[in-house]
Amino acid sequence: MGNALFIVWRESAEAMLVVGILYAWLKRRPDASIGMRYLWGGVAAGIGLALTLALVMLGVASVLSDQGLEYFQLAMMLIAAGLIVQMVFWMRRHGRTFRKELEAGVQAKAAAANWWGMLAVVAIAVGRESAETVVFLYGLSAEQQGIARLLVVVPIGLALAFLTFWALQQGGRFLTWRTFFRVSEILLLLLAGGLLVAGLEKSIGLGLVPPLVDPLWDSTRVLDDSGRLGGLVAALTGYRARPALLPLIALLAYWIIVSLSLRRRT
Amino acid sequence: MFASLRFETASWMNVRTLALLAALLTTLPAFAQDAAVYTIVARDGKLEPAVIEVPAGKRFKLEVSNDGKTPIEFESKDLKQEKVVAPGAKATFTINALKPGQYKFFDEFHEATAKGMIVVK
Repeated sequence: MGNALFIVWRESAEAMLVVGILYAWLKRRPDASIGMRYLWGGVAAGIGLALTLALVMLGVASVLSDQGLEYFQLAMMLIAAGLIVQMVFWMRRHGRTFRKELEAGVQAKAAAANWWGMLAVVAIAVGRESAETVVFLYGLSAEQQGIARLLVVVPIGLALAFLTFWALQQGGRFLTWRTFFRVSEILLLLLAGGLLVAGLEKSIGLGLVPPLVDPLWDSTRVLDDSGRLGGLVAALTGYRARPALLPLIALLAYWIIVSLSLRRRT
Repeated sequence: MFASLRFETASWMNVRTLALLAALLTTLPAFAQDAAVYTIVARDGKLEPAVIEVPAGKRFKLEVSNDGKTPIEFESKDLKQEKVVAPGAKATFTINALKPGQYKFFDEFHEATAKGMIVVK
């Protein structure tokens, strides 16, 4: 039971991070009501995406071929990574220049451009991992006493996800705006780096790019990426116990480019 | 909707992402011929065999067949593979030549009991 709950919580962590941070950020903006519409629109689109993907994975719907699904998942990972980075840059720029833009009257136009980007990033963050949760829960229901377990796991799982969301909001309330924003930025950038690594590993798995050297080292004894904690760290940061050279180079390049560009902008 | 997917900052990032994506999607996956096939059978929380021996330096195929009643998610960070396999379905993974060592795999939906490894010699 604890196992099932952990899986549900872990799979929702990424979505909660993205939705929770955006929600806390939007609430402080004067045009929050418009933003919230796009945020919840993204959540709804994400749920639709999750259900569709789950049906494809279970072989019920054949919108995509087997190989097509793999490429679609790969595209989702890389697009999500790109959109999250963009979101961080956008939030930083917008947080700083908001008052000036409002006075100049360019606010509405500038913001409208990225509301759709926000909707897309939320939809992918919610849909990507939730699809697996849906399939997992479907599987649970087919097991012995599955329905009874489902009736326990689903409400508690939802409560845990909500608790994560709530904790993020509390963070936004108790920390200074500056600190909360800094921490959020780092969490989002770590997540995007994790998605980049996952995307490249999928590309290696599909034979699209060479791993170069694989594995480069083995730190399984320090932190096993197949374990509970290690698996979570791996998903949210791109950590690997036995990394291949190519994703490692990409992750390093990513951090150099992102930190240099962010520094230049402040 | 996509026409309005414009961002006022860091548009070079967009271009880079799209270029990378295009490059990835146009490269055709290398097709393995005459690769040895190893089969793993999943059955509601069990993976059999739990240990598979494979020669080093040779590309091979891994066929994961889900004979159970519940879906599985075959995952291996070491082998860079992750895939949901529906009950009654089969998934084939092409694995590039490996260095000697142990490569773990597991079923994420039954991670307490369904584990195994590929031993490359």
